[in-house]
Amino acid sequence: MLLGPSGGGKTTALSIMAGLVKQDRGSVFIGSRDVSDLPPGKRKIGFVFQDHALFPHLNVFENIAYGLRQRKIKRQEIIRKVDSCLKGLGMAKEKDKFPHQLSGGQKQRVALARALVLEPEALLMDEPMCSLDTMTKEIVRDQLKRIQRKTGVTTVYVTHDQEEAACLGDRVSVLNKGQVDQTDSPFGLFHHPRTRFVARFVGTNNILRVGVTSLKQQEAIVHVRHERIKRVFPIRVRRYPLFDKRKEIDLCIHPGSILLKKKNGVVDDRLNRIEGSITHIRSNLHVVSVNIDAKGLALQATVPRNRFSFHIGEEIWACFAMDAPHPLCGRSCREDEPLRKCGKMPPISVWRDDYEC
Amino acid sequence: MCLIAFPILALFTATSFGELACRFGSPSVLSSVLISLETSLSVVFLSLCLGIPVAYLLAMKSFKGKEILDTLVDLPISMPPLVAGLALLILLGGNSKFGRLLIDHGVDLLFSKKGIIIAQLFVSIPFLIKSTKDAFESINKDLIKAALSLGASEFRMFRTILLPLAKKGIYTGMIMTWARALGEFGATSMVAGCIPSRTETMTVAIYQNAMSGEAPAAIAVALLLLVFSFTLLLVFKSRVRVQVG
Repeated sequence: MLLGPSGGGKTTALSIMAGLVKQDRGSVFIGSRDVSDLPPGKRKIGFVFQDHALFPHLNVFENIAYGLRQRKIKRQEIIRKVDSCLKGLGMAKEKDKFPHQLSGGQKQRVALARALVLEPEALLMDEPMCSLDTMTKEIVRDQLKRIQRKTGVTTVYVTHDQEEAACLGDRVSVLNKGQVDQTDSPFGLFHHPRTRFVARFVGTNNILRVGVTSLKQQEAIVHVRHERIKRVFPIRVRRYPLFDKRKEIDLCIHPGSILLKKKNGVVDDRLNRIEGSITHIRSNLHVVSVNIDAKGLALQATVPRNRFSFHIGEEIWACFAMDAPHPLCGRSCREDEPLRKCGKMPPISVWRDDYEC
Repeated sequence: MCLIAFPILALFTATSFGELACRFGSPSVLSSVLISLETSLSVVFLSLCLGIPVAYLLAMKSFKGKEILDTLVDLPISMPPLVAGLALLILLGGNSKFGRLLIDHGVDLLFSKKGIIIAQLFVSIPFLIKSTKDAFESINKDLIKAALSLGASEFRMFRTILLPLAKKGIYTGMIMTWARALGEFGATSMVAGCIPSRTETMTVAIYQNAMSGEAPAAIAVALLLLVFSFTLLLVFKSRVRVQVG
């Protein structure tokens, strides 16, 4: 799964894999096969395009048969393969229809059938669901997952939709200006982003700049580097990148890990807390997303809808557990200890948004 | 509407029907009709053969000098036909090296049907190139990528995807090219002259007859040209609508 914002290089990466764009340097392998110099048709790939790219002058049958005809397969074999593919996708009745007579979901299935009928070694999909409505998207997503499991074909799927990435991907790579910032499981990506860019992209905007005051074996005491917040709190460092005393780091807290408590309510002593007031409430089906102004520092929390009892302007405590903050320094929290060592930090003035320590 | 209808009606009212019927059957009128048809249809065929590859190059490929080629293709549209005729006359005449070379190899293009075809081709091929190029450019590039990723060679992709999808633009270009070739006068008369029954096209015949006081003959050819163009355009357009729409 390639995830990233528009212009991040996702489609270019996919086009290079497909042979539609020639790479400036490096090689492209499909399995152990070097396909760098092969034309697209010889790479044994299937490509599903953003807008489906169905040939408008050919009917469903001819669209699916197009690739088979290029391979000079016998007519009877083509009919058998296409019919079986159409039956498998529940599109047998539509085989004589033209693309403009199909719904978005049907077009999507034809595009998928056209790619899969060639039995490719890798299936490349370029934001194939971006033009579908929410309901169709869910149906197609389930169908896609089922087909992918059934055929077992390696699939590279490009999207800018985090939900799609979380639902469909086993491994997700976040692309930032043509570079992979992080490759992880969907859970790892959303809960343990490694860089500011990834954190922001997956919607974790709670980033605190802190200085390390002291270090114990599995615990670090840090102080928030903010002119109006003078708070010191402990964080657990057992699984996270290692850093030195007096080092400055960025900590990221997943919005779901922030617990809201009323100002006059009882707060568990084991929780870290920052004082603030609610500035914006945005609710959707299951959760309420809350923006908090903590003396100039913007925080965000997501609270289950049934546990939400706050209003805009209310003074609250934003609480989080010791192990909730996660350092953003480009290192994985699951790597071996030597690999988790943070590099040299630059002076504060040269820090960029997406800098890795 | 009036601007188009009144001059055409004026042609019908200028002479009697009996006179017109007599002129329609005359050998000189028939010969000019045949020469015009033969040359203009040859021009459409040649335009397809030469124009489609150029349109493909301009629409799909990036290369050095593309802008210059694109401007050159447009040039005959804005160039006065007499200037085009004069340029061709100089190029193909015995005084130029190229013309000399052709004559030495037994190819004499001036004052012949081949000359008419070259003159008509020169002024009318840009219409086909422009229309086809626009049609190629309007095709979704993902369709091309899809065809290539499905294993089609560039030629097969061109034949099975680009050509069918650009059909409407190509047909439009053909109609415009044919109409332009049929109505061509300036360049044709410069390159091929006005030799009756040999190089006298319909437009040249109209001019010749009108200038020599043979108004009924000029009107007969003009009306034939008009009816002919109108009918063919109508048939062609309705066919395109049926096939594309």
